[in-house]
Order: sequence, then C-alpha cells, then structure tokens
Amino acid sequence: MKIISDDRLGPFFDSLAQTWELRLPILLPDGSRVISSPGDAPPALLGGAVLSKPTAAFFPQQGTIFTTSKEGLKEPAAPERPLFVLGFTPRDLACLRFIDRFFADGRSDDIYFRQRQHAVVAGLSGYCGPNGALIPPAGGDCDLEFFRYEGNWLVIPQSEAGRSIIAALPGSVPPEAVALYRQAALTPPDENERLLRRASELLRANRVPDSFWGEIGDRCIACTGCNLSCPTCTCFGVQDWRSAKQVERSRMWDSCQLDGFMREASGHNPLGSEALRTRRRIHHKLAADPEKWGEISCFLCGRCDVVCPTGIGIIAVSRELVARFG
Amino acid sequence: MKRTLTVCPYCGAGCMFYLVSDKGRLVGVEPSTTHPVSRGGLCVKGWNAYAFVHHPDRLTTPLLRRDGVLKPASWDEALNLVVQKLRAVQKKHGADAVMFASSAKATNEENYLLMKLARAVFGTNNIDHCARLCHSSTVTGLAETFGSGAMTNSISCIDQADVILVIGSNTTEQHPLIGSRILNAVRNGTHLIVADNRRIRLARHADLHLRHKNGSDVALLNGIMHVIIAEELENRDFITARTENFAALAKTVAGWTPERTAAATGLETGEIVTAARLFAAAERGMIVYSMGITQHSHGVDNVRCIAALAMLTGNVGRPGTGVNPLRGQNNVQGGCDMGALPDLYSGYQKVSDPLMREKFAHAWGVAQLSATPGLPLTRAMDAASAGQLQAMFIMGENPALSDPDLGHARRVLENLELLVVQDIFMTETAALADIVLPAACYAEKEGTFTSTERRIQRLSKAVEPPGVARADWEIICAIAERAGYQGMRYADPAAIMDEIAALTPIYGGIAYGRLDPHGLQWPCPDRSHPGTPLLHTERFTRGTGRFSTAFHHLPAELPDAQYPLVLTTGRTYFHWHTGSMTRRTHLLDREEPSSFIELHPDDAARLGVRNRDLLLVSSRRGKVRTEARVTDMVIPGVVFMPFHFAEGAANTLTNNVLDPESSIPEFKVCAVQVEKLP
Repeated sequence: MKIISDDRLGPFFDSLAQTWELRLPILLPDGSRVISSPGDAPPALLGGAVLSKPTAAFFPQQGTIFTTSKEGLKEPAAPERPLFVLGFTPRDLACLRFIDRFFADGRSDDIYFRQRQHAVVAGLSGYCGPNGALIPPAGGDCDLEFFRYEGNWLVIPQSEAGRSIIAALPGSVPPEAVALYRQAALTPPDENERLLRRASELLRANRVPDSFWGEIGDRCIACTGCNLSCPTCTCFGVQDWRSAKQVERSRMWDSCQLDGFMREASGHNPLGSEALRTRRRIHHKLAADPEKWGEISCFLCGRCDVVCPTGIGIIAVSRELVARFG
Repeated sequence: MKRTLTVCPYCGAGCMFYLVSDKGRLVGVEPSTTHPVSRGGLCVKGWNAYAFVHHPDRLTTPLLRRDGVLKPASWDEALNLVVQKLRAVQKKHGADAVMFASSAKATNEENYLLMKLARAVFGTNNIDHCARLCHSSTVTGLAETFGSGAMTNSISCIDQADVILVIGSNTTEQHPLIGSRILNAVRNGTHLIVADNRRIRLARHADLHLRHKNGSDVALLNGIMHVIIAEELENRDFITARTENFAALAKTVAGWTPERTAAATGLETGEIVTAARLFAAAERGMIVYSMGITQHSHGVDNVRCIAALAMLTGNVGRPGTGVNPLRGQNNVQGGCDMGALPDLYSGYQKVSDPLMREKFAHAWGVAQLSATPGLPLTRAMDAASAGQLQAMFIMGENPALSDPDLGHARRVLENLELLVVQDIFMTETAALADIVLPAACYAEKEGTFTSTERRIQRLSKAVEPPGVARADWEIICAIAERAGYQGMRYADPAAIMDEIAALTPIYGGIAYGRLDPHGLQWPCPDRSHPGTPLLHTERFTRGTGRFSTAFHHLPAELPDAQYPLVLTTGRTYFHWHTGSMTRRTHLLDREEPSSFIELHPDDAARLGVRNRDLLLVSSRRGKVRTEARVTDMVIPGVVFMPFHFAEGAANTLTNNVLDPESSIPEFKVCAVQVEKLP
C-alpha cells in the first residue's frame, strides 16, 4: 500500500503512460465526467461513478469485427499498448467481474478480450463519492485500488500487476490510514441492496402481475438508455457495411427494449409490447441471471436510473414493485 | 479516444451529447449530464446519432451528369459549372427563374449564407426551406397574434405547469426528451389533456383524451373558448391589460355551443366542457402543439385559435404557461431566424421594407437587393411546371420524397433545366440532379443550431468528412467567390456568426465565445444580455396580444364513396423524415424496416385485412403498396402512414392543397382507398 498526494498524481499517470494507454475520469467542458484519454481535459477522480459505463473501454458502443476484401479477411489489431483504466467504483468492478465471466464463458469473445487481456483495472473508493461521500472499498476485483483519504490517495495493490506498478512509489502509509481503510470496508449494505434482493424474490415467486408491467411499460419511450448505460448489459447487434472495395462487419450495443431485438422473421414478436420487454429487462437481471450465474446481475451502479427520461430505471422499478407487492 | 460536445442532429429539442471517437472514427455517443434538456438522457435516435456518419453510401466527391449518368468530377469543374449554369438560366429567363432551397439540417451560418448567396449574389428572393412544410403556419399565425412566431416558453417550464394541453403533437415520439418531461410532470400532479385522435403514448397518461375528427381543430378550440366565456372562466384582467380585439373573438365563438362543437368534431359535449373547465381552472396552463395543428389548409387559423385560448386564460408570459410550437428539425428554428424565407431577411426583417433592403445591401456591399418577395417552396413545383422556374439549388432537402403529391414533384424536378443538390447521401432528389455536391455532416463541421426553445448552441467537429466532401458553408462561399462576389470570405463559422449578430437584432449578442457550454436563448440583443427564456413577460413583441378569429373550414379533400378513408401522415419514433440518416442506422432501420399503414380493426375486418397483409393504397394522385398494421392507435375511418419510405411513399398520396396564407400543404388530411393485394 502506498500514498499519493493530489499534486503527485499527474507525474504518476505520466509515468504510467510510458507503458499503458491510459483511460481516466476526466472533466469535460460542460461539467460532465467520463472515462477517457487524459490530455484534452483535467483528471476528475472525485465525484463517484461516471455516467457512461466504464466497461466501454473493453466493449465499446460500436466496434469492427472484421473487414473482408480481395486481400482477404482482416481483424482489428490488439491495442499497441495495453489499457490502464481507472475509474471503476466497487459496484462497477462487480459489473466488470460479471461480464468478464460472461464473455469468457463457452466460446470466449475474442474481440472483448483483445482489449481486456493485459489491461490494468483500477478502482476508486474512499471519500471520493458525490460531495465527498464514502464509497466503501472494493478489496478485490481489480489490480489497483485508489482510496481517497484526507486529501490523498491510498493506492492498494490487489494483483501482481498492481504490486509491480506501485513498487517504485516512494513513501509509507500511516497506520491510521490503513485502519480507516479497513474500517470503511465494514460499511453495511445499503437500503437499495435489500430492495433489489426483495424485488428478486418477488419476481422469482411470480408475485408481480402483468398489469404492473403494463403500467411501467406505458412509461417506456424506448430510448434504450437503460441498456446502453448498463455495465452488465452485453447484448449487441451486427451489421455489414458493403462498399465497392470491402465489406465491414461491426457490432453495436443493442437493447432488449427494442421491438426488433426479439422480432421473428415472420414479423411475430414474442415480446411484442413495452410491458413484456420491460418485464424481460428487469426479470433478466433479477430472476434469470441469479439462476444462471448465482447472483443478481444488477450491482446498483444507478446509471439506468439517471439516464432514463421517465424514471423507470431498475432501482425505481424495484422500489415501486416492492412497495406494491411485498 | 476523444469526446466532442455537440448538438443532436435530429429533432428540435436541442439535446447535446458527446461524440466518442477513436483514431478518427466515431464509436459511440455519451449524453451530457449537465445539459438543461437532455439531463443525462437521450432518445433512441440520439443514442444512435453516430451510426450513419461513416456509412459507405456517403457522398465523397462532386458528381456531374454526363450522358445521363452521374460521374465523379473535381470541385473546380463542379463549382464552375454550378455558377455558369445558374447564370445562364438567369440570363435567359431572369433572376427569379432560379430557386434556392435551404435546410433545417444545416447550421445557422449555412442558412444565413445560402440566403445571402441567393439575395446578394444571384439577386433573387427565391429562398425557402422545409419550415414551409412544418411550421410556416406558426410563423404567420403567431407573428400576427403575438408578434413572434417562436415557442414562448422554455422546455423546463413543463415542470411548473398545472395543466398541459397537447394538441397535434406526438411528443414522446417526435420530441422524446420533451414528451418524457411531460410524462414526469403528470406523475408529479400536472393535469394533461391530449387532443389527437391517434392513441399516442401521452394519451395513455392523460386526464382527458379528445379524439376529434381530423381537421376539426378550429371547431374544437372555438368550442372550448365558448365554454370558458359562457361560464365566465376567462382571465378578465389579462384580457383588459394585455390584449386587443377580444369582442371579435367573443362574437365568433358565441355560436360554438358544445352541441355544435360536438357535431363538428365528433366528440361528446361533456368532453368539450370538461376540457374547457380543466384548462381554464389552472393557475398555469401550457399549450404544446406541432404538425397536427400546422399541416392543414387552415393551419394559420388553427394557430390563431391556440394563441387566443392562451390569451383568454391569461396563460402567456409566465413560467409554466405559454404557446409552445415544437419545431421539428434540429435547426428549423434557426433556418427561419436566418431568413431562409422568401419574404424575410435574418431576424424576421422584412424584404418589403426599403430600410431593411438598404441595410442588408450596404452590409453585403451590393448596389441593391430585390424587392420582389420570393416563391415559397411549396409553390415552386407549380411555378416550375408553368415555366416560371427553370433551376433549383437544393441544399440538404429531399423534396422527391418529402413534398406532397410526389408524382407531380418528381416530374417537375426531372424537367428542370438545372438541378443542383448538395447533400450527404444520394437521396431520391440527388439522384435526379445534374450536379451533386458532397457535404460534411453535423459531426464533421463547426456551427450553431437553434433549438425549439430558441437556444442557440454550438456543434463541434469530431471527425473529418469523407473523401473530398466539404462543409456546406465552405461550398457556398466557394460558389460566391466563383460568381465574382468577394463579400463571402470567412476564416471560420464564428466569423459568419459575427456578421449575423451585426445584422440581426435578436441575435445581436450572440458570439461563439458566449455559447459554451449550452448556448443562449434569443432574443439576445447585446453582448451583455443573458438571453431570454420567456417571451412576452411584460408586453407582447407586437405590443398588445391580438385575438384573431377563425372560422371552421373543412379539409380540402374529404372521404367519399370512391376514396372512403381519411389518410393522415407523419413520422415514426425510429426514423427521421426521408430516412437518409436513420435508414442507414442499423438499430433504427431494424426497428421500422418498411412502409406501413395503420388501420383500425373495424376497417380491417370490413376489408378482410390482417396484420402485415400487403395493401394497395390509392388517392386521386397515386397508388402505393404498403403493409397493414391493424391497431386501435387510429379511429375507424382514419388511416395513418409515415412518410419515411421511398418504397411505399406516403407522399405519393398526399394533397398539395395549401393554406392560403402560409402555403403549408395539407399533409394531415386526404382521402384514400385501401385494397388488399393478393
């Protein structure tokens, strides 16, 4: 464990940039924070989770699968330097762990792992949430953890890669900082975790009537933001762009809130209403995934609740569902 | 990896987002968390607004028609030919034989420049754009009643309204971030009246859904005002202090009893009375409308009635109130503001005013400007078939799919002596052109768009245009230069905006340095002015508000034995206008892949039609094949078609009858016959 002051962060990142392609939370001109290449904008590690999903570093909204032409088939190259991505909150890291397992399952997704393999993942925790709120430590699921402590950052290695990165950093960590880090790890689960578990139980016990999904679905404008902002949504569509010289096949984030997502070639759609699609979206995270993977696949990052223009993100729906049915 | 803050190129809500690019290619979109409209969200088109930019169909080089075929050419050849041919037409047939069509998809700077090119360089006021097809009724109707044809309030005012009347606007589909704001307001206690006979999403959340007959809006609004006056619910103080001509209104609506209104609209008398009481009782009542009001042969009358209802109840000039025409295109407000209109310079300064002509002539360094008002776009096709118009220069519009009565429009375009089209894709119109000029799209250039709430916002260049395509403003300047005009040399779009500000009082305080991050709302008369979220607070732009009366006219073409159904047209949520961008966006095109017609289950049963059957739809103007969508979205006797699809083009059927004052076509009502194809 090492400690870094804010004014030493810049040189530290500069030194990392010799080896890795850096992605950090940065502050954009209108006050939005995103995880992106540093340089054009100042780093912005404080403020909690960024709105855009950090897993986009490995699974971008659109990416080429291959191009084919007279010269043959060409796949995108791996990045010249491996990625170093800082900005995952502990909840984001749980999402990353989930999709790592998903993409590795069965036939491993080579496009994802081309970016993901050899990448260094760094978490953010401590007193760096919105208005300085405490984000409990991750304690794992990453290579390095940056824990905000009294205006400095404790840097805690969680893997061999993490240990080698901070090996050269000078300085020692005061014992009270270590104690605080351990104390923060004991933070009890918040209300939303209980809420989600209860919603999951109700769904799995089939206690939620179709009429509820009708009401929620009526409020869905099919913006698809819930899916596109969700770090554990992994569905993608595929398109071919044909020109005189080549065909480019690419994939892009898809959304189960779209009619076309499940429409059959006949035109029939087994999920042909917003009610059924909204039910499916929530059901998948809270009922189907626990059966397949042993855990709810929503880790309460809260992004869908922020981006949804009509207030039917998973936390809001779970709250309504639990209030009415149990 | 780069993030570029820019403005969505689709509707007029004016959401801003970041384009995400990597090594010169767009790879996604991220919402702005701080923007006052998008607030971290976007609609499905916004989330996918990156996806068409690098499509292989993009135009990459100028094209010239040789031996009947469009073939690649250099910019030198193409630009010289444009100037040479336009000049030749003008020499032979006069300056007004040429028409320029500007674009609500292009920036303010580009609209201003095309207007300047038409007037200062080619000496004609024949400049118009697609506002003619969407809100020309608003510009005329609200200019007459309020003195300004723009949305009176800001989008954020929705949060403060006690009741919202949405009439002729499918807001959650066409302005999704505004529609969703209305949905949220309703959940927080705002009452909602929806007047639209389609069962749109908002209707599912409304206190009252009025499914009145197509084209009966004047009757409905007069009937509502009748009840308000009869029950003495009007705002006397406001009427006395702020308005004129109330007696004429009272006289006109006196005859519109609930019984007569019910007969004209097909509603129950109780619905009319309930609507009147609900709206009049509110402390803050807001009216939101769109194409369902404007696209009629009496569109201006519809707007007059809306303005009158707002004034009658004192709902102008305060937060949570107002008359709010939602502008369709990302920059249709700006296109109008910039004077891409046949009778107005930028800032609604009249061509007919000699002082204005002198002001612009002096600024542009020309001896004089034409005093003859130009042709509205919707009259251009008739003028061309009569031989009055011989050449068209069309920037970023696709009349071969968007104009009413397409058969006529296409014949005219094919027979022009010269057709020049400047666009980003080979549209149906570009395919008919003699010269095609490849343009940069919104993600590849700088400039400003003005949203429906009069918010002037900057778009920023994220990636390079394909091939040798250039920004529209650069092409226009190059044409001016080759035409021998030296007054169109600008370092960048910021310099163009400086000229606009100097000549346009409502934009007087606009400068690029002031627009970051989320723009300013006009009027903004000087560099220290903070912009104007709310119009008509103390006085109307024209002084007092004028009650203009309107008489109920039936639509020009009604169903009969041969064509027994009313066809109404519009857009779907997933596509944009003629689809040149959205039909090249995989997820959007997958969602709505082909032309369809909505028809009521009763009509379907009568015709023996099932869902997805192939149908032949005919009107007096033409026939199209399309697929059946059997749904209670529509009422019996009415069918709906979107106009996005070249195959099964709804505008083959529509009627090019125009509002006499605004020249807007009656896209919302014509008579058709539907047959099942074997």
